[in-house]
Amino acid sequence: MERYDAIVIGAGHAGCEASLALARTGNKTLLLTISLDAVSFLACNPSIGGTAKGQLVSEIDALGGEMGIIADKTALQIRILNKGKGPAVQSLRAQADKNAYHIEMKKTLEKEKNLFLRQGEAVSIELDKDDKIVTTSVGLKYVAKALVFATGVYMESEIIIGKTREKTGPNGFKNSHGLSQSLKNLGIELVRFKTGTPVRLHARSVDYSKMEIQKGDEEISTFSFMTEKPIENKSVCYLTYTTPETHEIIRNNLDKAPAISGEIVGVGPRYCPSIETKIVRFADKERHQLFLEPESASTDEMYLQGFSTSMPAEIQKDMVKSVIGLENAEIMRDAYAIEYDCIVPTQLSPSLELKNIKGMFFAGQINGTSGYEEAAAQGIIAGINANLYLKGKEPLILKRSDAYIGVLIDDIVTKGTNEPYRMMTSRAEYRLLLRQDNADIRLTEIGRRVGLVSDERYKKYQEKLEKMQKIEEKLEKKVKINENLINFFKNHQENPPKESIKYKDMLKRVNIDIFDINKEFNLFDEDYNLLEKVNIKIKYEGYLKQQEEDIQKTQANEKLSIPADFSYENIKGLRKEAIEKLEKIRPLTIAQASRISGVSPADISILTILVKNAKKDKKI
Amino acid sequence: MDDTIVSISTPLGRGAISIVRMSGKDSLKIALQVFHCKGEIKPRFLHFGRLKIDDGLEECLMVYFKAPFSYTGEDIVEFQIHGGILLTQKVLETLLKNGCRLAEPGEFSKRAFLNGKITLDKAEAIIGEINAETEGELNSSLKITNGKLAKKIFDEQEELTSLLAEIEVSFDYPENDYEEIVKEKVFDKLKEIKKENDNILEISKSGKYLKNGINVCLVGQANVGKSSVLNCLLGEEKAIVTEIEGTTRDSITESFFHKGVKINLIDTAGIRETEDKVEKLGIKKSIKSIENSDIVLFIHDGSKKSGSENEIAKHLGNKIVINVVNKSDKPRRLEKLENEIEISALEEKNISALKDKIVSEVIKKEISPNALVLTNERQIEILEDCDKLIQEVFALQNSSLDVIAMIIKKIWNKLGQITGNTENEDIISLIFSKFCLGK
Repeated sequence: MERYDAIVIGAGHAGCEASLALARTGNKTLLLTISLDAVSFLACNPSIGGTAKGQLVSEIDALGGEMGIIADKTALQIRILNKGKGPAVQSLRAQADKNAYHIEMKKTLEKEKNLFLRQGEAVSIELDKDDKIVTTSVGLKYVAKALVFATGVYMESEIIIGKTREKTGPNGFKNSHGLSQSLKNLGIELVRFKTGTPVRLHARSVDYSKMEIQKGDEEISTFSFMTEKPIENKSVCYLTYTTPETHEIIRNNLDKAPAISGEIVGVGPRYCPSIETKIVRFADKERHQLFLEPESASTDEMYLQGFSTSMPAEIQKDMVKSVIGLENAEIMRDAYAIEYDCIVPTQLSPSLELKNIKGMFFAGQINGTSGYEEAAAQGIIAGINANLYLKGKEPLILKRSDAYIGVLIDDIVTKGTNEPYRMMTSRAEYRLLLRQDNADIRLTEIGRRVGLVSDERYKKYQEKLEKMQKIEEKLEKKVKINENLINFFKNHQENPPKESIKYKDMLKRVNIDIFDINKEFNLFDEDYNLLEKVNIKIKYEGYLKQQEEDIQKTQANEKLSIPADFSYENIKGLRKEAIEKLEKIRPLTIAQASRISGVSPADISILTILVKNAKKDKKI
Repeated sequence: MDDTIVSISTPLGRGAISIVRMSGKDSLKIALQVFHCKGEIKPRFLHFGRLKIDDGLEECLMVYFKAPFSYTGEDIVEFQIHGGILLTQKVLETLLKNGCRLAEPGEFSKRAFLNGKITLDKAEAIIGEINAETEGELNSSLKITNGKLAKKIFDEQEELTSLLAEIEVSFDYPENDYEEIVKEKVFDKLKEIKKENDNILEISKSGKYLKNGINVCLVGQANVGKSSVLNCLLGEEKAIVTEIEGTTRDSITESFFHKGVKINLIDTAGIRETEDKVEKLGIKKSIKSIENSDIVLFIHDGSKKSGSENEIAKHLGNKIVINVVNKSDKPRRLEKLENEIEISALEEKNISALKDKIVSEVIKKEISPNALVLTNERQIEILEDCDKLIQEVFALQNSSLDVIAMIIKKIWNKLGQITGNTENEDIISLIFSKFCLGK
C-alpha cells in the first residue's frame, strides 16, 4: 500500500487544478486517472471562457491556478464578449486547441515534483480513522489522509445514441464502475444527470461559402495575468443555420429521440438543450443558429456548436446534411447524450469538504456542475482546502462578494442544483465588482496566503499595482482651459468645462475614455490592459461604491455564524420545510441560511434572534 | 419573549367598552391575582367577575385563550371593561403592578409573527390596523391583510422579472440569435411601472392622511382674525387638545374630525398668543408652523386692500396654500387671490366648505373600497425608493447596460421587500423558458 499526503481521483479540469494546488503546497500527491490520454480533455466544445466563465478562468489564474496560462498558450482565437454592454459583463472566450491543451496540461503535471500522475481506475474507497484507502480495478491500494473526488461525468456513465446505450465514458473512454456504489456505501446521496455533445465533421466537407465567418478580436486580452505576449488569432469560426428541412426531419423522428421519448432519465441542463429539445420547446422558431469551430490545429475535425443530439446515428446524418453549408458533410464522430452519477452538492460544506467525512473533498462535475471552468474553479479550491486540512488550518471560503468562484460554490452547497449548474453573470449580485479585469487585484493576495502565488507572480502583481497607482496620480493633474481642451470635449460630444479640469474628471464623462485622453494628451505608455483597468475603476467609481455599500449591509449576517451544534428541531415558529432544509444544509452563517430556498425572511428573523440568544447564553 | 405584556387594545375614549389584553406565559397567573369569578376558568369562555382595583371592585368580563390557540400563539387574557379612559388606565396600571410589562407598539403582532401565526406582510398590515384611528383607514388596511396590494406589487415585480430576464439573457448569451434588448424598451417599461407606482403612492399618501390626520397651520397678518377662524373650525366641544410633554406651549395641536378625517390644527397656542404681539415674532413662528404642516391656511382680511403679506408669502415654499379670505360679512376690497375661499368667522359662514376644501386638497384620490392603499410607512418608503431608483435609471441614458441592470435589480429587490420574493432563480428560470439558448 503506497502512502501519499493526498490522492486526487480524476485528471479532468478539476482534478488537474486540485492536484497542482496540493503538490505546489508541498504535499506528496497522487493523481489517478482512468486514462492518461484523457488528462484535461476538452470533451465537448473546443473553447475556454465565455460569459462568467471567463471571469472564473482569470480568478483561477489569480489564485495561482493553471487553466488561464494553458488556455492562453493553446488559444486558436480569442474574443471579448459583450463589449459595449459594460465592464461588468465583459468576458473573454477563446477557441482552444483541444490536443494542445491536453498535452500542455499533461506536461505541466509531469513537471511538478510532488505530483505523481498515474493511470488507474479507482473502484472503492474505505475509511480507516483519518485514512482514506483507494483501491484500483487492478487491486492496487493507495492511502492518504486527504482525498479529492474529481471524477467528472465518468461514474457509471452511459453514452446514448438513439436506441444504442453503451456503458462508457465520454468520447469512448472507459467509464468508472463501482466507485459510485462505494460512495453510496459511505452514505453519500447521488443523483443522475445528463448532458450531451454534437457531431464532429471533417473540415474539407464543409461549404464555408454559405456561412458567415467569425474572426477573433484585434485588440486582444489574455486570461492569465502571467501571459506576456498577446494571443495571436490562428483560426476562424463559422456561423450557419438549421433549415425547415432539419426541423421536419427532427419532428418526424421524435419517437426515436431518447430525450423526448423518456428513455433518458437523467436531468439535462436547460441552458444547453439538445437540438430536438429546442425544436419541441420553441416550435415557432424557424431556424436555429449553429457555429462551426475548429477542434485543433493538429486535426481537421470541426465541432458543430448548437447541434447536440441523442438521435440515432442514421438520422443524425440526415439532420446534418439539412444544415446550410453541410449538404455534403462527412461526420467523423457521432453526437451523443451521456448520463452519469453525481453527488447532491448540499452534502458539502463551502470548503467543498463532505460535511460528514473530514478530509474528503469533491470538485467538478461530480458536484452537479457543468463546464471546464466551473470544474477547474472548484478543483483549485478543493486542492487548497485539502492542503489546509492536512496542515490543520481553517479552510478558504471565498465570499459571494470576493469572486465568481464564491458565488458558484455558495450556490451549489446552499441551494443545490437540479440540473448541471452553469455559471452565469446573472447569478452574481456583485458582478460590477467581480470583473475579469480585476480578478488579480481581488484574489492574488489570497492566492499568496494559501501558498499558490509564486514569488514571480507576486512580484509582477505588485509592479502592476505600482504602475496603476502612477497612472492614477497622473490623472489627478489639472488641465488649463483653452481652445484645444474645448475642442477635445466638443469632438467627443461632451459639454466643455468652464474652468480647468482634472484628467480624472474628464474620464467621468460618458463619451471620454482613458484612450481618448491618452491620444490627446500623450500621458501614458503603459499597455492597453493596464489603462483599461484604471479606466473602469474611475469611470465606474460611483457604482462600485454602491455595490461595496450593498456588501457592507450584508456583512453583519455574513459574520453572524451559526454554532455547529445548533439544533433546528423544536424551534417554535420556524416552518417545517425550513427546519428540514436548515437541518440538511447546516449553514455556517445567517447569510448563508438566508440563501437557502424554502427558508423565508420570516424564518431568518426568528433564526437570527435565536442564534444571537444562543451565543449570549454560551458567553454567560 | 419570556415576559408577559399588556396593553389597552381599544382606542382610548371612544365606545362604551374597553379591552385590556395580556399575552405571555404568566397571563393567567397575573389575571387571577386581580380577577375573581365563580367556577373554573375555561379557555375561550367568557367569564363574568370582579377586578380588584385600588380599594374597590369593578365588574368586568374576562376571556382566556390557551397557547398555542391564540392570536399571538401564547397565553392571552382579555378583560372587557365598562367605562371611559380613567377606569381603563387603572386596570392597565393594576396589571403592570402585578408583573406585566407595557407592550411596545405592534408587539402583539410581532409575537404572533415570531410564533409563526402570521406572515410578515400580514403583521405589518395588522399593525397598521391597530394604529388606524379612523374608519376609512381601517377599511383600507384590511385590503392589505387580504393580500390585494401584495398582488399588485407582485405584478409589478413580475414585469421587472421579465425585463431583467431580457437584459440578462443578452449578457449571458451574447451569441444567441434572439433580438437584443434595446435601451428604449427598458426605459419605456420603467415608465409604465413608475406610473403604476405613482398611482399607488398617491392613493397611499391620501391613506397616510387618513391615518395621521392632515396637519394644518394658520398664518396671516395680525388682526385678520386667525384666532376666530381657529375657534370656528374647532367648534365648541369637539376639540381634542394634545400637549406634547417637554416642549413649549407652541406645539399644542388641536384636532377635529371632518367627514371621518382627522384635521390637526398645529401650533394653535402660538396663534392665540401672538395675535396682538410684535409682528416679527409672529412671522418667525409662522415659518416654523408652515414647515410642519401639510396645508397652510393663509388668512386674509377681505375688507382691506392687500398689506404686507409678502413677508409670510416668501416662506410658503411648495406647500399647499388655501387663501382664506375672512370677513366676508364686510364689503370686499381685497383683490382676487389664487385658490381662495371666502368665509366669515363672525357669522360662521362657509366654514364647512373650508373644511371640505382642506380635505379635498390633500386627499386627491377618492379612496374607493377596492383601492390599494399602503398604510404602512415602510411600504410607502419602499415604493418611494423605487421611484427614486427609476429616476436614477432615466438619468443613465448614455451609460452601459450593466449599470442600468444593476439599478433595475435593486428596484426588483426593493419590491421584493414587500412581496417577500427575492429569489434570483426566478429571473434565471425565465431566461430559460423564454429564450431558446444553447451552445
